[in-house]
Amino acid sequence: MTEPKLIARNVDVYYGEKKAIDNVSIDIDNGIVTAFIGPSGCGKSTFLRSLNRMNDTIAGAKVTGEILLDGEDIYAASMDPVALRARVGMVFQKPNPFPKSIYENIAYGPRIHGLAQGKAQMDEIVERALTKAGLWDEVKDRLSDAGTALSGGQQQRLCIARAIAVSPEVILMDEPCSALDPIATARIEELIDELKNSYAIVIVTHSMQQAARVSQRTAFFHLGNLVEYGETSQVFTTPREDRTKDYITGRYG
Amino acid sequence: MSNPQWQTPEARRRLARRHASERRFKALGLGAIVLSMAFLVLLLVIMLKNGLGGLDWSFLTGSDSTSPDMAGVWGAAKGSLLTMFVTLVLAFPMGVLAAIYLEEFAPKNKWIDLVEVSINNLAAVPSIIFGLLGLAVFINTLHLPRSSPVVGGLTLALMTMPVIVISGRNAIKAVPPSIREAAYGIGASKVQTTFHHVLPLALPGILTGTIIGMARALGETAPLLMIGMRAFVATPPGGITDPSSVLPMQIFLWSDEIDKGFVQNTSAAIIVLLVFLLAMNGLAIYLRNKFEVRW
Amino acid sequence: MILTGILLAVVGLGLVGWFVGRGRARLLYDGRGSMHSMPTYHGWHLALWIVVPALVVWTAWSAIQPGLVEGALMADPVAATLPADAMHRSAILAEAHMLANDPGASVFNAQSQALAAPLRAIVTRFSLIGALLVAIVAFAGGAYGFTRIRARFEARTQVERAVMGVLLLASLIAILTTFGIVASLVFEAGLFFKDVSPIAFLTGTHWSPGNARGADIAENFGAVPLFWGTIYIGAIIAMLVAIPLGLMSAVYLTQYASRSMRKWLKPILEILAGIPTVVYGYFAALTVAPLVRDFAASIGMQNPSTESALAAGLVMGVMIIPFVSSMADDALAAVPRAMSDGSLALGATRSETIKKVLLPAALPGIVAGVMLAISRAIGETMIVVMAAGAAANLSANPFASMTTVTFQIVQLLTGDQEFNSPKTLSAFALGLILFIVTLVLNIIALRVVKRFREAYE
Repeated sequence: MTEPKLIARNVDVYYGEKKAIDNVSIDIDNGIVTAFIGPSGCGKSTFLRSLNRMNDTIAGAKVTGEILLDGEDIYAASMDPVALRARVGMVFQKPNPFPKSIYENIAYGPRIHGLAQGKAQMDEIVERALTKAGLWDEVKDRLSDAGTALSGGQQQRLCIARAIAVSPEVILMDEPCSALDPIATARIEELIDELKNSYAIVIVTHSMQQAARVSQRTAFFHLGNLVEYGETSQVFTTPREDRTKDYITGRYG
Repeated sequence: MSNPQWQTPEARRRLARRHASERRFKALGLGAIVLSMAFLVLLLVIMLKNGLGGLDWSFLTGSDSTSPDMAGVWGAAKGSLLTMFVTLVLAFPMGVLAAIYLEEFAPKNKWIDLVEVSINNLAAVPSIIFGLLGLAVFINTLHLPRSSPVVGGLTLALMTMPVIVISGRNAIKAVPPSIREAAYGIGASKVQTTFHHVLPLALPGILTGTIIGMARALGETAPLLMIGMRAFVATPPGGITDPSSVLPMQIFLWSDEIDKGFVQNTSAAIIVLLVFLLAMNGLAIYLRNKFEVRW
Repeated sequence: MILTGILLAVVGLGLVGWFVGRGRARLLYDGRGSMHSMPTYHGWHLALWIVVPALVVWTAWSAIQPGLVEGALMADPVAATLPADAMHRSAILAEAHMLANDPGASVFNAQSQALAAPLRAIVTRFSLIGALLVAIVAFAGGAYGFTRIRARFEARTQVERAVMGVLLLASLIAILTTFGIVASLVFEAGLFFKDVSPIAFLTGTHWSPGNARGADIAENFGAVPLFWGTIYIGAIIAMLVAIPLGLMSAVYLTQYASRSMRKWLKPILEILAGIPTVVYGYFAALTVAPLVRDFAASIGMQNPSTESALAAGLVMGVMIIPFVSSMADDALAAVPRAMSDGSLALGATRSETIKKVLLPAALPGIVAGVMLAISRAIGETMIVVMAAGAAANLSANPFASMTTVTFQIVQLLTGDQEFNSPKTLSAFALGLILFIVTLVLNIIALRVVKRFREAYE
């Protein structure tokens, strides 16, 4: 057994006075897709955002407990959130390409982190990221077009490519397909499946079918608690908890 | 294992450099605010230092004089009050009625578009242009008395009205449709709904905008210069047709005097004017905080 | 006097009509559903019928009465003695009017004494005729209105229609004002351009209206130095102060300041915008200008003047800071949070996110804000009047005295002047240029802002 990539221990997240996440502990492994499911407002996105300290950007948000990336506490004083976020990339619910060209969208991350020496190397990084995100063939002739001019699904793959371009170790995806049509969704799901070999992927989704399709492990959140966590097949077929069963069978949600 | 890519000395140096640049940038932002505020403080301190000594009872109750020791601010203040009265009486009802029409009743057509464009542009037209309008229309065409609060008030009313219309429309827009639907639902007509329900709810917002517009008019000098409100007024004006001056004009006139004694008068008059403005803005903020309803 | 009295009487009559109408309508009430409108609306309806036609007649009469009075006075034998010279004549008539109103007034022309008595009689006669007319119309309107009070009469609909009319009129004032501005500027400027060709005005580089006399008049109305001074002070020096400070303030307030800090800092910053321009002007003349002059002397300028483009521009820039800051604030706030989230999630620092993502995304809004700020700066008057100077210099030296369009408008229209001389008319030509430029800047800026907002909705 290798070490888990991410380990969370007794994590609480507060927004001001309100406790949004209550005592969550979870291990996330490399090389697989982990899905967070649960009804809206259950805290799954909040927890996801605490894994790369995006919660730092929200006034009044506070995280307690321990989250370890390769054994390093990401909330330790010695951990630089800027460096952390380069290692733990994120893809958002709504595609959010920058209002720049496709090329510049990808090159932005490597440039700020100084990952490329010279234009040739940058070109190479851009091509590799776009290829990995399955977008290269579609956009290679119009790299200078605005990223916002692409279709919704393409924009989301552009955002995935943008995250890949800084060679992260973990990719967090916050309902990446909720703004997309079924065909674009299928395309992203294929992509996620290909990417899982190189990265630890965590995906938050409100669609149980999607969780069942793309993930190997599933965590069910409810009212800020982690109710159940296990192999996806097990969670969906023989849930141990009643609450999980009720949710999966559609009693609430 | 930790990603070695981030552990090299080169990567560490780069990170340190980026954080330093981040700190510099943040300090720059704070510096900009501090610098702006320092300027404000400097301005206030200089005015207080020069003017406080001149603020006594005879200054507050006297009128203009050729001798700095005799000169007072009441004549100009009364001129300001009369002018503001005319402005308010004209601009407030007109502004509110126009806001109601545009927000609640106006059809969508070219004419109404023209009205909207007019109002938005009038709000940004330099004040001196309103002075030219006042000079050409009220004085040279209608032959209203030069230098009088009635002409000053008319001119400033035209300038203030767009401000009131714009703030009024925003306040009316902020009243949720559910209020209107509730009134329609019990059989009120559109006019009744507007005047009985929408207008009272929008009034605090409209008043706030009006006070801010009036405060701007009170501090205005350039348009009044055009219509000759720079009379030497040794006795306070008796009515809105008497020649008069206004506070900012008095400041301007005194600032031009050679006699050193007028430096103190000018600063003291500035203090008086700023106190007026502060009181008005304070009232506006108070109204906004007390009555503003968040829907 | 009589006419003012009748005006009050009409309003009083309207009030009476309101009560009468309401009372009459109440008598008609015969159980639920018996009337179309509430009695109050009948009251309003009657009052409107009394007041509105009477007011129309009153206004019309007030407009034509002076002409009628003048005509009648000329027919009077006393008027035959009036001098033919128009100016002299109108001076005497004006004094006669003064005497007619106030017999104790002191006058210069003896002739006006003789005219006063007949004039007073004529004015009284016509005022009485007017008052009678107004009264007749008020009563006729009232009578008609009264006959319409019926149970089924839709008084409310009628009153509401009148209300709509008033609302419409109120909103037309804006167009009327715009029209008034354009008409008066174009008219007076047109008179000016008869004497001075627009080309000489717009391209000439020599400005000294004081010397403008005779045939070569146009040579003294070259406005280029004024345009340059205006641009140099308002669009260059002031913006060099206002853009960096305003923009950085907005960045700090929106991106770094905590909520409570923002709550305090923003209103304090806005105080800067609320300070009257005359105060800035005084501050510029009293404090900043001497500092600038001393600085100029210390870097080796010969005889630097107290009035300088730099002093005026600096203070104007400070005045504009809150304006730029609030426009930039709006522009930054319009950029969706997802943009900065996307950048931060890649490991960008705040400042990298601001510089490389937020500011470029907000650029159209910021540019529009700067355009509005420029339009405000070039229309600003008091600061330049008090600190910039009157010399029409075509110079790039910030320590030189420079003049602006607004300064010259003030200069040309205050003090001793005869109206309709090219000198005073040129002020309207300058006003017209200023109006057009600010209008164009505003229209473009508002359009850019609108398109920018739509892009993120």
